[in-house]
Amino acid sequence: MKALNKEIKNKIIITIIIGLVCTVFFAVMFIQFRTIEETDITAIENMREAELRAAISEWKGKYEETIEQLEANQKLISEYTEKIEKNEEASELIDEDLKKSDIMLGKTDVYGEGVIITLSANGERQIKHYDLLDLINELRFAGAEAISINDIRVLSSTYITQPQENLTVIDGQRVSSPFVIKAIGNQTYLSSSLSLKDSGYIDKAKAVGIDAKLETGKKIKILKYNGELEIKYMKEGIN
Amino acid sequence: MNKKQIAITLGVMCFILTVSIFVQIKTIKNTNSTISQSLKENELRDEVLRWKEKYDVAYEQLTQSGKDLEEIRKQATQNDKTSLAKQNEIIQNNMLLGTYEVQGPGIEITLTDNNTGISKDGMEVIDLSKLIVHYDDLLEVINSLNNAGAEAISINGQRIIQTTAITCEGNVIKVNGQRVSSPFTIKAIGSSGLLYGSVSMIGGYLYWMEYEGVLVDIKQSENVVIEKYNGVINYKYINNEN
Repeated sequence: MKALNKEIKNKIIITIIIGLVCTVFFAVMFIQFRTIEETDITAIENMREAELRAAISEWKGKYEETIEQLEANQKLISEYTEKIEKNEEASELIDEDLKKSDIMLGKTDVYGEGVIITLSANGERQIKHYDLLDLINELRFAGAEAISINDIRVLSSTYITQPQENLTVIDGQRVSSPFVIKAIGNQTYLSSSLSLKDSGYIDKAKAVGIDAKLETGKKIKILKYNGELEIKYMKEGIN
Repeated sequence: MNKKQIAITLGVMCFILTVSIFVQIKTIKNTNSTISQSLKENELRDEVLRWKEKYDVAYEQLTQSGKDLEEIRKQATQNDKTSLAKQNEIIQNNMLLGTYEVQGPGIEITLTDNNTGISKDGMEVIDLSKLIVHYDDLLEVINSLNNAGAEAISINGQRIIQTTAITCEGNVIKVNGQRVSSPFTIKAIGSSGLLYGSVSMIGGYLYWMEYEGVLVDIKQSENVVIEKYNGVINYKYINNEN
C-alpha cells in the first residue's frame, strides 16, 4: 500500500516537472515568435533611417545656403551704410546689385559648364511640345541654372506650343527640329540624371523613336532672353 | 525501465530547451539592434527638427535683412534719379524672379482628384488614372497659363520660378521639392479675361482633363495674391563673363 502510494507520488512529481518544462518551452517559443516579427520590421526601419538622413542633409543644405545669402546681404547693408555715412554716391553699388539680379533673371548672356542635348525627329515620330516641357523639367530637377532651346532662353514664363504638327513655337518664336537644348549647371548631375538606364530622358526619348544625343561642355554659352520682360498686372504684395 | 524512460524524456526536453534558448539569445541580439535602431531613429528625427528650426530662424533673419537692404538702398538712392530708377528695376526683377510676394488681377484654378469614378457627363470611367491629377498635367497647365501671358504662378503656395521642377515620386507630387496634393490650387496673375478665356477654351488642356473626369474649377478674380518663393535662389554655375 505504501509502495503504491510512493509510486503515485513519483508519477505526479514527474508529470508536474514535465508540465513545467513544457510551459517554459512554450514561453520561449512565444518570445521567439514575437522577436522574429520585430526583426521583420527592421527592413522598413532601415529605409526610414535613410529617409531621415536625406531630410537632414536637405535641411542642412538649405540652412547653409540661407546663411550664405544672409552674410552677403549683411555685407551689402554695411557697404550701403558706409556710403550714406560718408555721403558718397551709391551708384556703383546699385549697378552691381542690378547686374546680379539681371544675370539671375536671364537678361544677360551667361557661360558655364553643362550639357547640350540634341533632339531630332526621324521619320518615326515628331517631337511634341511636351517632349520639350518634360526635358526642361528634368533639367531643372537636376539643378540647371540656365536653359535655352535653339538659342531661345527659357525663363519661368516661357511657353511652348504646337499650332501644327511640325511647327513649334517658343515664346512666340518659331522653331523646328533639330532642337538643341543647352543647360548650365553641375555637369555630373545633369548628364548622369539624363542618362540613367531606361528611366533617364535620353533612353526614354530613344524608346519612342526620337534621335537624342547628349554632350557635355566646360564652357557653354547661353544667350540672353531676347524679349521684353514687362510687368503690366502684378504689383508688389505685402513683403 | 521506468527511470530510463524518464531520463530520456528529460534529456530530450533539456536539449530542446537549450536549442530554443540559443535561438532566443540570437533573436534577442537582433531585437537589441532594433531597439538601438529606433533610438537612433529618434535621434535622427530630433536632428531633422533641429536643422529645420535652425533653417527657419536663419530664413526669418534673411527675410528681415532683405527688407533692411531695400530700405537702406532707398535711402542711399533718394537723391539720385538714375539710381532711383535702378532701384525700381531691382524691385521689378525680384517680382519676376519670385522673391517678392505679388498681387493683381488673375485666375484661380482648382484641380481635384475625382473619387467617384463618374466623369462629368455621368459615364463610368474605365481608366481610373485619368481621374487623378498627374505632374505632367500641372506642367501643361503652367505652360498654357504662360501662353496666356501669366506674370506670376503658384501651385498650392509654391511659387513657380525659373528653377522649379515638378516631380512625381511614387504617388507623391513635389513642387520645389515640397509635397503637394489634391486639391491643387493654381493661382496666376495677368489679364483675368485673357487667362480665363485661354484655359477654359473648348478643346484646351483643362477642357480635356474635365471631360476625362478630373474635377476642374476656374474662377476669375480681381485680386490674386501670390506667395514669394520660399527658399534661397543661389546660382553657382552661371557666370556672365567668358
